[in-house]
Amino acid sequence: MDGKRHPNSFQQLEKLGEGTYATVFKGRNRQTGDLVALKEIHLDSEEGTPSTAIREISLMKELKHENIVALHDVIHTENKLMLVFEYMDGDLKKYMDTHGDRGALKPIVIKSFMYQLLKGIDFCHKNRVLHRDLKPQNLLINSKGQLKLGDFGLARAFGIPVNTFSNEVVTLWYRAPDVLLGSRTYNTSIDIWSAGCIMAEMFSGRPLFPGTTNEDQIIRIFRIMGTPTERTWPGLSQFPEYKTTWQMYATQPLSTILPQIDPLGIDLLQRMLQLRPELRITAADALNHQWFHDIIAAQKHHPQHHQVPQPMMHPHGGYQQPVPSQGNYGGY
Amino acid sequence: MSHMTNPLATPEQLFQRRSFGALPLELQDAIFFAAQCLTQAAGILLQLPQSITAQANVLLARYWLVEPLMAHEFSDVSAAAMYLTAKLSASPRSPRDVCNVYAYLVSPASTFFHPLHQPLAAAAAENNPPKYCLSESQYQSFHARLLAIEARVFYALSFNTHVALPHPLAVTYLQALDFLNMPKETIAKRALAYLNAAVLSPQMLYCTSQPNALAVAAIYNAARDVGAKMPECEWWEVFDVDREELGFLVVGMRSIEGWGRKIRGEEEPIKGWKGKGMLTRRMVQEELRRRGIEEVGEEGDDVEADMARRLDERMAELEGGS
Repeated sequence: MDGKRHPNSFQQLEKLGEGTYATVFKGRNRQTGDLVALKEIHLDSEEGTPSTAIREISLMKELKHENIVALHDVIHTENKLMLVFEYMDGDLKKYMDTHGDRGALKPIVIKSFMYQLLKGIDFCHKNRVLHRDLKPQNLLINSKGQLKLGDFGLARAFGIPVNTFSNEVVTLWYRAPDVLLGSRTYNTSIDIWSAGCIMAEMFSGRPLFPGTTNEDQIIRIFRIMGTPTERTWPGLSQFPEYKTTWQMYATQPLSTILPQIDPLGIDLLQRMLQLRPELRITAADALNHQWFHDIIAAQKHHPQHHQVPQPMMHPHGGYQQPVPSQGNYGGY
Repeated sequence: MSHMTNPLATPEQLFQRRSFGALPLELQDAIFFAAQCLTQAAGILLQLPQSITAQANVLLARYWLVEPLMAHEFSDVSAAAMYLTAKLSASPRSPRDVCNVYAYLVSPASTFFHPLHQPLAAAAAENNPPKYCLSESQYQSFHARLLAIEARVFYALSFNTHVALPHPLAVTYLQALDFLNMPKETIAKRALAYLNAAVLSPQMLYCTSQPNALAVAAIYNAARDVGAKMPECEWWEVFDVDREELGFLVVGMRSIEGWGRKIRGEEEPIKGWKGKGMLTRRMVQEELRRRGIEEVGEEGDDVEADMARRLDERMAELEGGS
């Protein structure tokens, strides 16, 4: 990342996505012919370089993992900032639309994607990074069937924006109940909730909790997971969004709602979709769940496919909160 | 991600500062000190917490390890460091606020680096808003420089804007040491004072030592000052600091006050600086000429840019006056 490369080193091809802060283009490295994704950040004439872009760059430079989209280069010119990412063929949303049976994917594909998703999440969490905006549009897929986390940190520093943006821009569907209830002390478990929602969606082809407002989102979750009470969730009534008027729903067994999923898969999903954040499984534990044992065994049989886990780069991690995305930039 | 450590200066970077063609060392040190003091003063007027201002000091120091001191006006570089640090924090400040504060601090109306011996009434009479109120075009010109230097800083730091400060560590270490049986406040205050003074040190202590070492050295100095009894064992090793580094930092931190007084007082590395407020590139250039030193190469274009800027501002003043 020498930053000395000229914007003209890349041939700009079609537009992949657009948001308030950035536009993403497909590009080609003129020297090597390699495809890349070019994320152009518009520099604000009043404020200069957006803080969100700076955070994303500083974060992505450090997070090097096979399941996280790689930032190759940053090109800084007078009036724009261009981030050069590795090229991915599409995002999980598009993949489900084109490869799925009415959006639903084959169990073997889902297991592979979930394993890779959790590996990417685990790497982030080990490096004290919360993604905070996991959704199918932010998971990038390439033709080799690799899944990588994208779109880190294009938003504000504190808190997840709630109700500020239209459904299309910031989706509520993958947001953890503790965040919806107004928690400001959430942690890595919020990414696990999102991963659970994504797993269910890959099986059914439909979002599990497609809420329209913060309130509606909460109700949709309770309708399936059951309405919590102070008894099932001590401290519940302390949340800013706690309501005494919630209708009391009984817990639905996930196996009836998602009959496509095998019992082990349901067990893992159940552990990810715990209302209480402290009960949610960690990414590291989820990777060791029995549901993945056949993947792990297959990797042992074919050591050439065994993907070596990357060592943690800095063991003295402190705490850094990346920020969620506010736009759809085609996943970058 | 390294949240508790900082990227440090490489030996090459430190050598470069001493190399042939660089400014005389005492001038470099004076510039560094003046800009860091200015940054601190701006942080106070911008009502930013010291945790943010100190980060700006560290980023400014890191930037000057990479780019030549004379490339931009010192106060502009300080302003850009302050602006971008605040932008990344929970307390961003608008370019307008930053501009107003710096315009005031570099004006003769401010008390920054100006002698305080004149009676307060006279000082109040001197406090003449037109002296530090910028016209719209002066503001536009400042704003453009601010954003241009901001981009230079990001580029020079390759976007690594994270700064780990030693202050919280010092408090934690003091707790572990049971405040050396001293009143908590006395010793903690003294230790933080050493840490805050250390950002001004031309030895660039924050670019040569990790926060844990800075924290231990500050505690050591504070303990000596307040007469606290330190453990008899080599307690610094518990905090991963060796004797040699501790010794270097202890001396480095203790020397800042005397050095600062000297440079602002009798020694005067730059003739005519005393009582003239913030050090400027022009003062440094005049000093170089006085000493018969060729102007340092890299600023060729910049002198022109500087003249253009002056001209613009002059025009603006004339227009404003008509």
